[in-house]
Amino acid sequence: MAIYESIVILDSLIPPKEIDSAMDRFSALITENNGKVRQVEKWGKKRLAYEIQKKQYGFYASIEFEGEGNIPVILESEYNYNDNVLRYLTYRYDKYKLKAMASETPAVNKAEKVEPKKKPVIDIESEEPEKTDFENNDIEAEADSDETVEENKE
Amino acid sequence: MIRVRRKRVCFFCQSGMDYIDFKEEKLLLRYVTEQGKIIPRHTSGTCAKHQRQLAQAIKRARHLALIPFVTDFTR
Ligand SMILES: [Zn+2]
Repeated sequence: MAIYESIVILDSLIPPKEIDSAMDRFSALITENNGKVRQVEKWGKKRLAYEIQKKQYGFYASIEFEGEGNIPVILESEYNYNDNVLRYLTYRYDKYKLKAMASETPAVNKAEKVEPKKKPVIDIESEEPEKTDFENNDIEAEADSDETVEENKE
Repeated sequence: MIRVRRKRVCFFCQSGMDYIDFKEEKLLLRYVTEQGKIIPRHTSGTCAKHQRQLAQAIKRARHLALIPFVTDFTR
């Protein structure tokens, strides 16, 4: 079982009731196929970055669910069948997303996280005095002066 | 003309950001040109690992109309 997120852009002109019923239909499809809906989120009406089917606005909603690989396929055919769906994207959480999720949940651990970050900053500062005056004027505070390459262009 | 090319440090490595979320349009827009093209890694300084993730995030955001595919000024 993997975790997926499915995001749909619905026609923003349809009544809110229809948006709810569409989302219920998608959620029902997931549970019918042995999936587990983790979260349904309505982002709301947003302006589209470009027109889709001559529309400037869309209603964004997302469903996070657990299940087998057949569910995205079933959802896709439902999205294609439903005329109110302007666009959809279903993706599987990769290792980076799962890692980010795991570190998000314990919010108390945030104080611990700050500490290891401090160390590299100190390292960079101790390297800096090695630079010459010329470099310091020309280069913003950056770590590796060794890798600066001078080039003749044109 | 002498140009000093300096090694740029990957922003995502520096900030310790492991996952690049395609829902953060503002962050992604910093890595595309005015026309909407993905900025190459040798210009932005992003490391290979993060550039791969960044490219995927930009493509997903484009598909969902969060950021434009192209910004055409000739209109
Ligand atoms: Zn990086």
